Parts: sequence; C-alpha cells; structure tokens
Amino acid sequence: MPRYELCVILKAMQRPETAAVLRRTVETLLERGAVVRSLESLGERRLPYKISKHDSRHTHGGYFSVDFHASPKIVSELLDHLERDIDVLRPTLLKKDPELSQTHCCGAQAEEAKSAASR
Amino acid sequence: MLVMKYCTNISSVSAQCIRSLTSQQEPLKKGDMPIKMENPYKTPPKTCILCNITVDFKNVQLLSQFISPHTGRIYGRHITGLCGRKQKEVSKAIKKARSMGFMSVTLKDPQFIKDPDICGIKHFE
Repeated sequence: MPRYELCVILKAMQRPETAAVLRRTVETLLERGAVVRSLESLGERRLPYKISKHDSRHTHGGYFSVDFHASPKIVSELLDHLERDIDVLRPTLLKKDPELSQTHCCGAQAEEAKSAASR
Repeated sequence: MLVMKYCTNISSVSAQCIRSLTSQQEPLKKGDMPIKMENPYKTPPKTCILCNITVDFKNVQLLSQFISPHTGRIYGRHITGLCGRKQKEVSKAIKKARSMGFMSVTLKDPQFIKDPDICGIKHFE
C-alpha cells in the first residue's frame, strides 16, 4: 500500500476541541481501512497569509501531520470529507516517495562526469 | 696554437661526460623506485551547499534562505550556486509550501530575515 502524508491546518481552537477534530479525522481514516503510522503536531503558528474558509478569515492555525498507509481509492473521498469539515482550513494529501539515495549527490555526479569524459 | 689547445680541451671534457653518462646505466637499486600513493594534492570534490541535506517543504527556515526578503521571489541558479538537482528540489519545495499554507508568497517571514546570507546577493540599498 502506498504511503501518504496528510498535512492539515486546523482553526485556532482550544485544546479539547482540537483533540476532537484530530480524533474524528483519524477515525475517518481508520474507517476507510488506512493504517495510521504517526500523528505529529507542527505547532500553532500565525498563518503566512490570511485564509478565508467556511465564511471566515483566519490568521492563526494549528499545523498537524498524519503519516499513513492507505489504498489509493480512498484519496478523493478523504479530501472531500476534509473540505467539508468546518474546523479544517487547508487539508493537503501528499504521496510519500521512497527517499533517494544521497550518494548520488554533487560530488559523485562530478566524478562520474569526469570518468565518462576520460573514457 | 690557441685554437688547437681549445679543441683538445673540449674533446677531453666531452669524453669525460660520455663516460659518466655510460656509468650511470647500471641497474637501479630496488629501494629507489617511486612509492605508489594517491595524489596528495588532490582537490576535494566540488559540492554545492545542500549536498547530502534533505530538502523538505516543512523546513520553512531553510527554504526562506533562497527567496528575496523584499518580494519573496525564488532566486535563480546563478545566485544560489546550487547544483541543478538541488535547485529543482528547493524550487519545488517552496512552491509546495506556498500552496499548502506553510510559506508566504510575497514576503519572507520576519523571524527569518536575520538569517545568515547564503546566496551573497547585494540588494540595492
């Protein structure tokens, strides 16, 4: 199953309410057969620009990141569900690519070019 | 008379030289061969500043170092000095961060303005 990362920006709320929103988000994920790997909080910050969503303009928000494995079929349903949620300002779902090997970075590239030229 | 003497002197000197050259053709001693070693004056491979550093859209501070503090525009390759790959990664990450609500589009986050200057660009004061 491919690995996804869901980065949500929630409305600036009190702790119990934020917890409730996160709870129901993760429950929706689990309902659709996703395996949640981790849930991280990236802090409550000032938004880089004012976001108008669900009839109000927001300046602050809580950033959270959910790492999970899921089937690709639930992606569109999930995004739809999150868009409808009043407390979610900006949901973004990304696919997590397997990390590229760091050995192919600059130095190795230059050496390869040299050896290719010398041949 | 003088010419004759000069000639003989030269001939004797040249004979000596030839003799010394031939004497040096003895087999070289085994301990005299050059030792095989890696070039000690080798220059370290050229790397860009982001070599072996993963670029993430969540790392707004790192990405903000490659944008203008006045307009928020991404600097070109000739300014940042990054290799092709890393420049592309940084550019993609900045655009992703902007659309996801992590980074501002038209300005640089005020808390990151005092960061050290990587790009070395001189702004018109």
